[in-house]
Amino acid sequence: MKMNKKKANLVFAAIVMLLGMILSFTPQTVHAADDSLQRVKDKGTLVMGTSPDYPPYEFITKVDGKNKVVGMDVQVAQKIADDLGVKLKVKQMDFDSLLVALETHKVDMVLSAMTPTEERKQSVDFSEPYYNAGQAIIVRKQDKSLYKDKNSFVNKQVGVQTGSLQQDLAKKQMKKSNLKALTKVTDLILSLETNKIDGIVAEDAVARAYVSNDSRLAMIDAKFDLGGDETSTAIAFSKNSGTLVAAANKSIAQIKAKNLTKGYIDNAGQYMSENTQNTSMLHYWSYFAKGIGYTLLITLIAVFFGVLLGAIFALGRLSKKKIFHYPSVWYIEFVRGTPLMIQVMFVYFGIGLLWNNIPAFFAGVVAVALNSAAYVAEIIRGGIDSVPNGQIEAARSLGMSKTDAMRTIVLPQAVKIIWPSLGNEFISLIKESSIVSIIGVTDLIYQLRAVQAATYRGVAPIAVAMVIYFILTFTLSRILNRAERKMQHD
Amino acid sequence: MTEMVKVESLKKAYDKNEVLTGIDGVVNSGQVIVVIGPSGGGKSTFLRCLNLLETPTSGKVFFEGTELTNLGEKQLDDIREKMGMVFQSFNLFSNMNVLDNLTLAPKRVKGQSEADAQKKALELLAQVGLADKKDAYPDSLSGGQQQRVAIARALAMDPDVMLFDEPTSALDPEMVGEVLKVMQDLAAGGMTMIVVTHEMGFAREVADEVWFMDGGNIAEKGTPEDIFDHPKNDRTKDFLSRVLAQ
Ligand SMILES: Nc1ncnc2c1ncn2[C@@H]1O[C@H](COP(=O)(O)OP(=O)(O)O)[C@@H](O)[C@H]1O
Ligand SMILES: [Mg+2]
Repeated sequence: MKMNKKKANLVFAAIVMLLGMILSFTPQTVHAADDSLQRVKDKGTLVMGTSPDYPPYEFITKVDGKNKVVGMDVQVAQKIADDLGVKLKVKQMDFDSLLVALETHKVDMVLSAMTPTEERKQSVDFSEPYYNAGQAIIVRKQDKSLYKDKNSFVNKQVGVQTGSLQQDLAKKQMKKSNLKALTKVTDLILSLETNKIDGIVAEDAVARAYVSNDSRLAMIDAKFDLGGDETSTAIAFSKNSGTLVAAANKSIAQIKAKNLTKGYIDNAGQYMSENTQNTSMLHYWSYFAKGIGYTLLITLIAVFFGVLLGAIFALGRLSKKKIFHYPSVWYIEFVRGTPLMIQVMFVYFGIGLLWNNIPAFFAGVVAVALNSAAYVAEIIRGGIDSVPNGQIEAARSLGMSKTDAMRTIVLPQAVKIIWPSLGNEFISLIKESSIVSIIGVTDLIYQLRAVQAATYRGVAPIAVAMVIYFILTFTLSRILNRAERKMQHD
Repeated sequence: MTEMVKVESLKKAYDKNEVLTGIDGVVNSGQVIVVIGPSGGGKSTFLRCLNLLETPTSGKVFFEGTELTNLGEKQLDDIREKMGMVFQSFNLFSNMNVLDNLTLAPKRVKGQSEADAQKKALELLAQVGLADKKDAYPDSLSGGQQQRVAIARALAMDPDVMLFDEPTSALDPEMVGEVLKVMQDLAAGGMTMIVVTHEMGFAREVADEVWFMDGGNIAEKGTPEDIFDHPKNDRTKDFLSRVLAQ
């Protein structure tokens, strides 16, 4: 027995390694010749990836009652699509996920106020820059007199967006400051206003957008030593997309010649001031409602399939047959041993290599359900294990078959034991499913970000989302408690 | 007299631990066999090998002429139906009331109708003196009551032999009597029984044969008088002197 187990586990490790190797080789073999432009024309759509939390470049606003991504980048992309004679489609996701989305061909191009750094050039191609912006530091208005430029922040807390050019610049040129990196600019603003940090390094267009809409903020010139390209913003394409890049460059040349970006920024500024005219949370109820809808939908579907698959894996793990037992054990251990966040990204981007247009919502639900299945499997196994062996033996000594004993004696007893833990799993799934927002599923967390970006208000949307989560989980736990009590009385 | 149960060179080992080292024996129809011996001697394992709840490592087990160790699961289920078993820890189905405990297997295994199964169950409950407890759940009953229900549950299948594994060992002393009384009545009614117990009074009074088991084999067999009054084996003498001294 011992020997077999060891062997089986080695096989498992080998499979995991093999899987990793296969996946790491696939991307290089996807493309032979450059047909990028032709493919876009054939599809009739140009898909743009962006992280819409960066006004005036890209952000969300309400147009005719619907949430829409707007901003300078969207207009640049629209111009390119128009010039190609195709439709523009905007796909939203986390900034950190954008380049992966390019590599896995989920999007044709990325416009997200992205600077063409050397590091990024290693993995993607860039167009000519379409905009050049200086760097600024946002500070609290009452502290403005304390600071002159980047060198005034010795031993101060300085915020930057994770993975941004500003983070690189600050790392190299503000060595005496303490850097704090966050994913969202809105979170940085919030930190600044609550005195957690003393300044935020941001592009001047961005800084201006926030400062002009919030009387508590002010901005100063950062005065970084900048190389040529480093201050510019360009479009990212996947490697080997020369034809598509060339087409984009043509449009960019026109944008520059006619100085169209000025009009784009003005246009974006109008949306921004509309957004900030009514920042009451009530005004944004439809954002939250949509988020609640998705969060509940994801949770319900994931719980359903999680329980179904979990039961199968639990029985597999309890099975004496090795071909059922070991795969179940490996699955459970592997899923419980890796973070849900990575699983979500793996399903969306990894499986996306094989299935190009996997919808983010579908990928999110699949990942959460597969994750939940492992935990549910252990809950069910624990429940079945806790039914004393004597119960089965008694049934079998009466001539009942194993399956019959399982169905009529063990499972009914196990369900009573399992029920409360299953309820807890359900409740924690409502909270944990929030991780799907990283791939752009518009759940409650994602909508909270959208409201923050739209209103430039940090705390209020968080508070609203928190209360909503609490109402959801509290209501659910009361319902489950009642069901549990009823069951114990039967 | 027909042979009901017969074992030949029965051995059972868990990994390298030899628990039964070779047991031979015959139980005739209508006989009451009482198995005694020190704890850890293999008595439970022996009983569980008789209805194949444990699979013997080697040797043969016959029941009513059929050799069991080569049978498939389905055929074994049919055999187990006819061999009732009563456990030290009662093992009543805790998710069912007393009546359902008694009717479940007759309905599911024998295909009896609800009405037939209930009628028989109520008779048996009356026989063990618990007719008024038919709607009670196991955890509301005393140990003695639970064990009497467990005996009735086994009897509901109309078994040809009853196996008892220390049926009174988990009971408070004042409840031992009520269970032994039920077993005594059963023996008097002609039931074939194999009983593992430490109740020497019961063994002396009810047993046709007493088997003394120690170290995985049967060290001595005989009538109650043989074993209790004239034990030959030193291990038997030693065991009895310790048990009877208490
Ligand atoms: N399932 C099992 N796995 C391993 N060893 C066991 C198992 N069941 C019983 N044994 C061992 O077999 C020996 C005899 O046990 P048992 O038949 O319960 O004795 P008795 O009923 O006479 O007290 C003990 O040493 C016990 O540890
Ligand atoms: Mg025992």
